Formats: sequence, C-alpha cells, structure tokens
Amino acid sequence: MPIGNTRPSVRPAPAGRAGGPAVTSSPRRDGALRRRAGGGSGAERLAPYILVAPAVLIIVLLRLYPLVLGVNFSFTGDGAQNGTAVGFGNYRELFADPLFRTALSNVGLLVLLLPVAVAIPGLLATFIYLRVPGHRLYRSVYFFPAVLSPVIVGAIFNLLLAFDGPLNAVLGAVGVGPIDWLGDPGIAMFMVVGVHIWATFGMALVVFLAGFATLDAALLDAARVDGASMPQVVWHVIVPSLSRTIQFVFVTTMIGMLTSMFGLLYVMTSGGPEGATYLPEFYIWKQQGQMNRPALASAASTVLFMIMLVVGLLQIKLLERSGKED
Amino acid sequence: MRQRAIWSAVLVVSLALAGCGSASDSGKSTSSDGKLVVWDFKSGEAFAKSYLDKAKADFKKKHPDVTVEFVAQPFDQYYTLLGAAIQSGKGPDVMMFNGGGQIRDRVDALVPLTDYVAEDKQRLAGWDAFTKDGKIYGGPVTLQGYPIYYNKGIYEKAGLDPASPATTWDTFVANCATIAKAGAKCFALGNKEGVGIQFWLSSLGSTTLTAQEYDAWIAGKRDWNSANVKRIFQLWKEAGDRKMNSDGANSTAMFNDSFAFFQSGKAAHVMGLMSDVGHWQDFNEFLTPEKLGVMKAPVVTAGTTPSLPYDGGIGYAVAKWTKDPKVAADLVRSLTSTEALNAFYSGAGAIVADTTIDVSQAGPAAATIVSELKSGKPALHVALSSKTIDLMGRLSQQLLSGSVTVDEVVKQLAASDQAG
Repeated sequence: MPIGNTRPSVRPAPAGRAGGPAVTSSPRRDGALRRRAGGGSGAERLAPYILVAPAVLIIVLLRLYPLVLGVNFSFTGDGAQNGTAVGFGNYRELFADPLFRTALSNVGLLVLLLPVAVAIPGLLATFIYLRVPGHRLYRSVYFFPAVLSPVIVGAIFNLLLAFDGPLNAVLGAVGVGPIDWLGDPGIAMFMVVGVHIWATFGMALVVFLAGFATLDAALLDAARVDGASMPQVVWHVIVPSLSRTIQFVFVTTMIGMLTSMFGLLYVMTSGGPEGATYLPEFYIWKQQGQMNRPALASAASTVLFMIMLVVGLLQIKLLERSGKED
Repeated sequence: MRQRAIWSAVLVVSLALAGCGSASDSGKSTSSDGKLVVWDFKSGEAFAKSYLDKAKADFKKKHPDVTVEFVAQPFDQYYTLLGAAIQSGKGPDVMMFNGGGQIRDRVDALVPLTDYVAEDKQRLAGWDAFTKDGKIYGGPVTLQGYPIYYNKGIYEKAGLDPASPATTWDTFVANCATIAKAGAKCFALGNKEGVGIQFWLSSLGSTTLTAQEYDAWIAGKRDWNSANVKRIFQLWKEAGDRKMNSDGANSTAMFNDSFAFFQSGKAAHVMGLMSDVGHWQDFNEFLTPEKLGVMKAPVVTAGTTPSLPYDGGIGYAVAKWTKDPKVAADLVRSLTSTEALNAFYSGAGAIVADTTIDVSQAGPAAATIVSELKSGKPALHVALSSKTIDLMGRLSQQLLSGSVTVDEVVKQLAASDQAG
C-alpha cells in the first residue's frame, strides 16, 4: 500500500473515528484512494447517489412533484372547465372574494399578535426560572395543555365561552352583561387566537426553560448585587442572553399559528361568525371539500405557500444575521 | 454502522410503502369484474347492518356472482375524499350523496339513472333532489324535510291551546310574546354554521311566497327582488330583533346545541329535520311523544297554503367510471328496495323515501309528517348552489348582528345565484 502511506492526510476521517480499530479502516482507505486515482468500479462511483436516492426520491415524488402539480392545477378551471387552462382566472377570483381577503388579513393579524404569543411563555418561564413560590407545580401545569388535541381544546372552550356558559355567568355575577365571545365578529378571532396560544405555549415554555439552563447565573447574581430591580434584571440581563432562544420561539410559534389553527377554527367557529375567523387553510378546505372547487383551492394553496415561503425566508435571514452577531 | 444502514433502509421502505398505501387507498378503483365498491357515510353506524343485509340479499338475487364492498367514510371528510376520487377518475362504483347541491355539483362524474330506475319512480318520493336538467342521477333513501316542531308542554304552561298552534304569522308572534312571559324562548336557533337561515327560508317559504313564485324558484327562475322573498329575510331579522330566538344564535351550533335547547324545554319551537338528527325520534326521547307537536308554517302572505318542504335526503348514485352501469344501477335499486328502506326507517328513525312504509309506531309527530308528504314541495334552499348557501349563511349572521340590510342581502344573493 505505497500510495496510502504516502498521502495519509487525504482521508483523515477514518483515523479520527472514535472506537474504530485502525486495522479495519485501512482497506477502505485503500479503496477510496484507488477510486480517486483510477476511476474505480462503477458501483462505487454510484454508491453515494444510490444512498441519497431514497431521500431525494421521497422529496421529489411526494413533495415537489405534487407541489408542481398543484401549482399547475391552479391555472385550470373547475366543474365544466375541468382541465382547461384559464390563466390567472382562479387568482383573479380569489382576490375578488371578500372571504379570501378576510383570510389574508387574519394572517396579518396573527403576525401582529405574534409578540404576545412569544411574550407569554417567555414571561412565565422567567418566573419559573426565578423560582416564584410553586414554580414546580406551574412548570407541569403550564405544559399540560400542549398534550391536548386541538379538537378537545376547542370543545372545552366552546363550553366555557358559550353564550350561556360559565364565563358569562361569572361576568353576570359581577354585573357585566353577557358577551357573545364566539358569535361577535369583532371578538371571535381574538378568542380563537387566545385559545391557540393557551393550548400551545407550553411547548415554547419548555424551549425557554432550556434556554435558561444555559444562562450564566453569575450574571444574575452580579446584577442583584449591583441593586438591579426585577424588571431591570429581565430586560438587561435575561433578554439579551436569550436572544437566540427568543428568535427560535418566534419562528416556531409563527409556523404553528399559520399552519395548525385549522382544528380550533373548525371546532370553535367554523370560520364564522360572518366569515370573520377565516384563515387561508380553512378557506382551502372549504373550497375543496364543500364547494367542489379544487382548482380554486389549489390557487389559494399556492398563495398560502408563497406567503409561507416569504415568511420562512425572512425568518431564516433574521436567524442568520443574529448568528453572525454572536 | 451496518445496523444503522439497515434501519435506514427499513425506514425508507416503510415510509415509501406508507406513502403508496395512503395515496392508493382513496383512489382504489374496483370496477373489476364481479365486485362493486360503495362509499357512504352511514354503513359504519350500528343501525346500518340490518339495512345493508336486506339490500345485499336483494342484490344477490339479481346478481349472485357480484360481491359488494361497503366502505364507510367519515362524513366530515366525505366530499373531500370524493372530490379527490373524482379528480383522479378512479374511485367507488356507487356512492352516497346528500340530495341537492352536493350531487348536482358533481353530476359530471355520474351516470344518469333515469331509465334504470323508471320502475321505482312511483314507489319512492324525493327524486327532485337527485335530478338535474331532467335527468335522475341518484336513488333516494331517506327524505329530508324541515317541519316546525313545538313543545306542547310549554304551550300549556303559557296558557295556549296545544292542539291549535297559530295559523298566521301575527298570531304566532303574539303567541311567542305569551310564551316569553312564561319564561321560554320562541325559537331554539343555532346559526353558528349559517344553517339556521336555510331552515327558516324553507320552513316559511310556502306561506310567504305565492305558489307561482315558489314553483318558479324551484325551477331556477328566482326573483330575489320580489317583496315576498325580501319578506322572508325581514322576518328573520325581526325574529332576531324581537329576541324571539335563543340567545347567542350566531355562536350556537345547530347540531346539536340548538336541538338540545329545544329538547330541554327552554324554547317552544324549533325548525328541525325529518331524518337522521334533530328530528321526531330525538325529541320523542326527551319530550315524550305526547308533548311533541308538528305545526304547519304560519301564513305570512294572505292566500298562501302551507306545505311541508322536503326533498330526497340521502341517496345513492353511480360513478361514470364503473364497468357496467346496469349492474351498479341494480345495486342502487336494491339499496332503495322497500325491505331495505323499512329496515333503515326502524333502525335510524328516518323518514324514508318509500312512502308505503307504515310509521304509526313512531308517535303522532312522525305520523303528521308522513301525512303531509303528499302535499309537500321541494325545499327552497335545496335548490340553491352550495356557494349561494354558504354566502346566505354568512349574510344571515350579519342580519342577526345588524351589520347588513335586507336589501343588501338579497342583492348579494341575487348576484351569487345568477353567477352560479
């Protein structure tokens, strides 16, 4: 094995692999180098492609191909026009539909409410970290809703928020008139988002607690010794130290809000009242399943995909920038 | 290392298989010889067994060599799955449909059954809901109608005569004021899904529109600007403004919160159904058959005669990709045979399409409904497209909350109706 001995630095990996006896690595190294030098056998050259093929095939066949089909499908007609190209007809109809515009503006509302959805688990995690009395209990109590399915959560809050439900009974007892929580178009969306936050903040809380685990306790002690108040500690010590965690929670919460509110909407409001709680997902489901407009639904899906793409890319940009700062 | 490779391979293969499996399941075509696949959203229920047994036995007599497989789909997903099957041009040979918009929107994928079911035309009722442009696309199993149920107990408590409910709208409103004094609501209304207005439109249609307007509506010539059509929506708004409805109607689910409200004796009336849910059988259970009454719609426009609005409820249709439409049509006929429907009626408590079946066991309310079938007419909302119905649901919620006018409502509905 003259070649192998003369150029050991080309393949450092096998030698560095922990636990692997050196003897077993030598024939492999030999083969690899022979391949580089003389082309080797066809099977070996193809090996990497074959190894990545399953993953690539799954992504191409089950993700990208349907995606392309869906986009293509969105340029065809429905019903009698099934299969014929209609250009941007579906998209024109979509943006002329006040219901779809409501759905899009609700997406905007979700983005605006995002800081609230991040701040709540962040604050609660801070309290747990600062060991408020009963913090052990709160840690498990806060996480509990995260294990419930949206349908169950929706059903529970349907009962609580019903017009003749317990919440209005409590309000009535203190002299405040009953509010139709899920029947008032100005309130319903906030209720659904609120319930969604309640149901999912446990997960973000756990992420925050994990972030706190990496926090340097000496900094906190130093701040306290210097006489910093609680808000000052949170704002000047904890928040800067946790910036990466906060960004991560922002990204995951955003994705969660945009893609997994369907169950709650379906159970709590069915998109109503007056269509005020429509989200693109719900609109797509309605057009495809109830209105028999699969092509229009494809167009809506494509729009939702574009939105997610833009949001996703922006967030990646954000993460990259903060990574550089570190 | 090798073990990891094996596990990855296992994972990849199983993922791939799972992928194939779920994709091919929904589009499983079986027009192969000797087997018919039926999709429905009923056969999974407990009562369905005796119905299906009867239907299968009847079919076996005609085609002993053909086997039938029933696939129960969840109702929530039913039309989504069916849409996917239709899109791919593969799927069940025979499928269940709700009458009206759901089947009419999808006739492109169906075989006209007009000639195959000619013999059943007299025996069964409710064909209109399965007919488009003069062609029959499905055989009706149940009839779905929108009677107004009332609670005789509340009438007695309020000092009204339970045997003679109001026959005109004005008396009805006056009665409701009396009922309100007795501590009950006039209507149990659930309009969260926007379904309440559909029942309202159909229940009061026969006594608000003239007979001529009614027939023109069903025939597709709908004059949304007519004073009587507007009147229906005005009444809806007035009933809301006068607090005749149960509270929080826009956030109350019709199925089954509003029906539960009626059953528990908190409201005197409910516009309910004839079959499946929210019907005489459910109400009998809580209110007892003696307390449950069915009333004719109170007359709103002088000179009109109340009639029971009803249509074919659910039925079976034949897909155009089936190998032998004749065999599939025979299966539809077996599924709508008298014996099978008798089993359906006694099991599910539905009013079935075969009007020769005796329902005297089911209490006075069911008997009243069946006696009114002869003079009944198709329901007004069933004639509308799904799109218009959806819009009407949202507009009805706006009418209740006061954020839209009746004129604006009929204008938008007219535009949607003409477009669709």
